[in-house]
Amino acid sequence: MNDSPVLVVTGLAAGVADEDLDILKGVDLAIRPGEIHAIMGPNGSGKSTLAKVIAGHPGYEATDGSAELNGEDLLEMEPDERARAGVFMAFQYPVEIPGVSIANFMRTALQSRLEDGEELDLFDFQELLMERMELLDMDASFAQRPVNDGFSGGEKKRNEILQMAVLNPALAVMDETDSGLDIDALKVVAHGVNTLRKENPEMAVLLITHYQRILNHIVPDRVHVMVGGRIVESGGPQIALELEAQGYEEYRKAHAA
Amino acid sequence: MSQVAAVRGDVRRAIGREAVREAGAGDPGWLRARREEAWEVYAATPLPSTRSEEWRYTDVAKLLPLDGLEPAGGGAVRGAALPDPLRRAMAQDRESAGRVVEVDGRVVSVELDDSLAAQGVVLSSLRQAARRGVGDIEALLATRAVPASDGKFSALNAALWSDGVFLYIPRGVRVEQTIRLSRWVSRPGTATFTRILIVAEEHSRLSFVDEILSPDFDSATLACTVAELFSRGGAQVQYVSLQRMGRGGVHLANQRTLAERDSTLDTLNVALGGTVGRVDLNARLLGPGANSDMLGLYFGDANQHFDFNTSQDHVAPNAHSDLLYKGALDGRARGVFRGIIRVHEGAQGTDAYQTNRNLILSDEAIATSLPNLEIEADDVRCSHGATVGQLDAEALFYLMSRGLGREQAERLVVLGFLGEVLSRLPLGGVVEKVTRAIEAKLGHV
Repeated sequence: MNDSPVLVVTGLAAGVADEDLDILKGVDLAIRPGEIHAIMGPNGSGKSTLAKVIAGHPGYEATDGSAELNGEDLLEMEPDERARAGVFMAFQYPVEIPGVSIANFMRTALQSRLEDGEELDLFDFQELLMERMELLDMDASFAQRPVNDGFSGGEKKRNEILQMAVLNPALAVMDETDSGLDIDALKVVAHGVNTLRKENPEMAVLLITHYQRILNHIVPDRVHVMVGGRIVESGGPQIALELEAQGYEEYRKAHAA
Repeated sequence: MSQVAAVRGDVRRAIGREAVREAGAGDPGWLRARREEAWEVYAATPLPSTRSEEWRYTDVAKLLPLDGLEPAGGGAVRGAALPDPLRRAMAQDRESAGRVVEVDGRVVSVELDDSLAAQGVVLSSLRQAARRGVGDIEALLATRAVPASDGKFSALNAALWSDGVFLYIPRGVRVEQTIRLSRWVSRPGTATFTRILIVAEEHSRLSFVDEILSPDFDSATLACTVAELFSRGGAQVQYVSLQRMGRGGVHLANQRTLAERDSTLDTLNVALGGTVGRVDLNARLLGPGANSDMLGLYFGDANQHFDFNTSQDHVAPNAHSDLLYKGALDGRARGVFRGIIRVHEGAQGTDAYQTNRNLILSDEAIATSLPNLEIEADDVRCSHGATVGQLDAEALFYLMSRGLGREQAERLVVLGFLGEVLSRLPLGGVVEKVTRAIEAKLGHV
């Protein structure tokens, strides 16, 4: 297995675009192929901002430091370029796109990865989509539904996992994908991620969560605790258990300005 | 070339009494008289001005130099080769039960399935049907639906119409495949006046697609159309208008649907082309149990101007109407929607809805939406709503985060937005044709 990191974040500072205040205040992170890193932290710690800055959300702006995907400068790229380079972010709040079917969306997304003038083979696409849905135990009719339109919270998250499965990213960023899910939906998401990793052991995962419980189902290689825009502790999965027992209060006190 | 033709080539004809007489040459007396009366109404009616509520946003005096237009009404030859764009549009259509082709205001061909003709279906040039006095034509043409008294342009059309379509579906006859009208306007600076009269007798069924195309013009060119649609008890009628004229085209359409007891009379107006498109659509629910779904879709760019003036008249109790108009506007395009639901006294149990949604794609595009209710009965369910929104930045980011370029993402959002309208009227071939036309237009945005 290739051992150079997929994602390298160095001294990354970032905030809301057009505002002076940094939310991230110097984040360092390196994720190797096949690794699962969890970032845990209280509300407002900046963990979700990190996900959005990596994906290129236009509402956020990096003010210092760097983020590289396989040696390429992510911060210089548009969101679509990052996606084509291998970044995938599972949204905390997936957006409804009325009138556009999931199948059509994914077909367009795969087409966008081809060279100009190259046409996606529709038969191959259909086969891929069906195969991915089968892998995730999804009904074939799901792909014909308009993207997230009228979906339940659980369905929206399943849709994120399906897209991840179709696009097969080098780096999957899960932005609080577990929030607001009941335990069954959580298991579906975890099962999806684990299944995809079996298929593609090189896929790196950055799992951003407030809660420990998803880590019972997706076992991380590393856990980072983020407080006040910085990673204040990193270690093995046991950190998550300690956090669960103690809460974030201790970290907050220790790292208060 | 004869002397007469040479003279006519030199002297431009104009909109006026002489043109009315020419249009009526060969007509029966009742029709010539009706044209003359209509001309009197036209002459006595002032041009709609922006001071009137219904024309507030469409300045006809500025957009349409009526005096400089030449009434079309000839030139088209039966059997002549059809222009390529029209042939391409026709080739995109799926199977038809019948088709009329109209060029520059004259019907050049009529085709109808033999089996339908044998069942008494009449599909004809309106001019010929009027001359032969087919069925109730004298009682129904420019009388109960769109009479001259309806307004300046209704009067002008009733005076000057050169041709159009007469379609009669006898009781109980179900026309399973679509009947189509394919129109072409070729000559810049002309004014074409045509009419459609459709009568669907009790428990009959029909879908009719009316498509108008033209090349780009460098001067304003008018297509003034009237559609009079009658559905008798229990009949089911769908009428679709596809406006795909070239730039410079001005389309003024007046449509009226009269739905009797337990009948369904649905309409879809698609406006993609032309420089100015104005549709006056009045749906009249005349019998209990009558139903009208009214759909509209418009996509404007550059300096295109679309104005929809709709009304839902609930005259009878327990009728249902549901309007959904959606538009996307780019460039400096302007969209106007003015809709009113009128529930007349005694129309208890009315269900009437009206929704207009606009998607603004540029800083300079403008959408104006004016929904209205006028209710004179107390046991009714009515609602109206209007929205004007911009492309949602979060939606664009979502799509781009999967690899779609900004333009691709915008295209997808617009297609999805407008596609909702088409999904409500899944008529064979129309969805594909309109989707393709929108995609072609998005390619130029």
